[in-house]
Amino acid sequence: MSNLRQTLYHALLWLISLLFFSPVAWLMLSSFKGRNDILAVPAKLVFTPTLDNYVQLFERNGFLQQLLNSFIMSVAAVIVAVVVSFLAAFCFSRFKPKGTDFLMFLLLSVRMLPGTAVILPVYLMYVAFGWKDSHAALTLFYAMFSIPFSVWILKGFIDGVSLRFDETGLVNGASWWHVIFRVVLPQVRPGLIAAFIFNMIFVWNEFLFDYIIGGRKTANVPVALATGAYADGGVDWAFVSTLSTVYLLPPIIAIYVFQRYLLVGMTFGTVRGEV
Amino acid sequence: MTSVAFSGLTKSYRGTPALDDLTLTVRADSLTVLCGPPQSGKSVLLRLLVGLEKTDSGQIVVDGQDVTKLPPGGRRIGYVPQSFALYPHLTVYENIAYPMRLQGARNADIAAKVERAVQLLSIGHLLKKRPDQLSGGEKQRVAIARGLLKDAQIFVLDDPLVGLDYKLRERLMDDLRTMRRELGATFLYATSDALEALTMAEDIVVMDRGRVVEHAPVDRLYHEPQHLRSMELVGFPGSNLLPGRIDAGICVTPIGRFAVTPEATAPDATAPANGAEVIVGLRPEAVELQPAGTGQLSGQASVSLVEDLGGEQVVYLETGGLTLVTCLSVGRGETPAYGQTVAYRFDPAAAVIFDPASSRRVGCGCFEGQEKIRHA
Repeated sequence: MSNLRQTLYHALLWLISLLFFSPVAWLMLSSFKGRNDILAVPAKLVFTPTLDNYVQLFERNGFLQQLLNSFIMSVAAVIVAVVVSFLAAFCFSRFKPKGTDFLMFLLLSVRMLPGTAVILPVYLMYVAFGWKDSHAALTLFYAMFSIPFSVWILKGFIDGVSLRFDETGLVNGASWWHVIFRVVLPQVRPGLIAAFIFNMIFVWNEFLFDYIIGGRKTANVPVALATGAYADGGVDWAFVSTLSTVYLLPPIIAIYVFQRYLLVGMTFGTVRGEV
Repeated sequence: MTSVAFSGLTKSYRGTPALDDLTLTVRADSLTVLCGPPQSGKSVLLRLLVGLEKTDSGQIVVDGQDVTKLPPGGRRIGYVPQSFALYPHLTVYENIAYPMRLQGARNADIAAKVERAVQLLSIGHLLKKRPDQLSGGEKQRVAIARGLLKDAQIFVLDDPLVGLDYKLRERLMDDLRTMRRELGATFLYATSDALEALTMAEDIVVMDRGRVVEHAPVDRLYHEPQHLRSMELVGFPGSNLLPGRIDAGICVTPIGRFAVTPEATAPDATAPANGAEVIVGLRPEAVELQPAGTGQLSGQASVSLVEDLGGEQVVYLETGGLTLVTCLSVGRGETPAYGQTVAYRFDPAAAVIFDPASSRRVGCGCFEGQEKIRHA
């Protein structure tokens, strides 16, 4: 009896999963269809696959640059953020400056702020500084946005590293530099990976700020999608589906490889899971 | 020869004093055990010496050099912390070699010294393992090896054997003493275990509430304790502490009366005043389950508990509402049974008299003619 229940239960779960996955599947399948097949009603499940859409996408003017922008800005911003956050988290955890709790709260509230609420002042500031459409400036902005999260995750991890480790190093003549990078860092590697992956996905997905304070030079994939979706008086579904598939792949791979670290990120480091 | 001197050391945490104007000089080339109850300031003192805490006031002098303001790395002191603190990302070998690596030693020197330490502690088979693959005792031995590998003349061991099983502790105590002699170094060793203190120590420092109450070679401290806390803390089983009153040079206790000799060993101690309340300390081994001989006081008591330790027995006696502890070697006479009434005797010369206000020793007992035993 319980076996049957379990089978039914699993079948239900599969059904729900497939239901949620079906738009993604439609999108991915569409990227291999010819233009006429994409809009066929009912949707064609059997068709002659073609790579034309991909060839067109990669030959499209500026697309490679946009893809590269997405990669470079997410990786650079997150590296900056993780380095800064690691040092900040170490200080919060070890030296406990006055008001640590309040500062941590403040950091988190910065992260919780909706982007649309600050886009106008940020835009004015970037224009005034002459930073609009600059890779470095946009990277810095993303780094700033990634820091609070990373500090939260990493502080939780560094708190878990006993002070006795630091002391053992110090007593034996180690510098703080040594303690931070040779004693503590190797022990919080899962936290670093969690912070890295989580913020990486955030920056990868970012549209609003790139669209407003970026420009032609710094456009990323989401901006390319938004600006290129309409062509010839309608939605260019071939373009949308192909670009989306390319755009989805890196996060899907990253999530698959690092899924155990994601729980850490989603709970701000308070739940360690298996890492 | 490296000696350590603390003078006027004060340290408090959020207004709670941990060390209170502590002054202590540790003999060079000795194994000095800091013994005291938890929270008595042993660990704080050691952490101040190592440099992991800052003093509020006072001075720490190592080998003639004031190290009070030096960073921990500049003090050249080996340290075995209470928690193992073995680096999980390094192998056992790298953990042990760590202090030497930081000192910039050559690989060949490191290998040679690690080899020797590892042999002494018999952990050679563990070198390639990671700390999370070791048992508690193995971790502790690795931590000891790492702490002692440093090129230093002073080694600080903060209760390193706490939580280990008895056999292992006994072995490590032996190993530590051997290693100290080989190194010719000064060891400062903290423990709250009386037996460990007695086994390990050459000198014992008894600490209580952030102060040193007594500092003496181990046998003198055991046999001639100058402070009530020394009598209480050092020794196993714990000493008998009985209430007493001085009456015209005679100490009246629930288990008998005896004369008081003022102390020659404590020059600044004053003889107890007439009518003064005192505390009488009596080591368990001073109480014997034998009928009275000459020069001894005796009485009757009922056995309330017998703890069999194999080679010896700890017997608790009830007499006049008091509990007396005594320690018997098994094989000498009959084993007392629970509820049995037995005769006991003790030599009043073994009784030490303390002033309850200052806890200082004010005298010891001596036999006074043919006193009758007074029972409550």
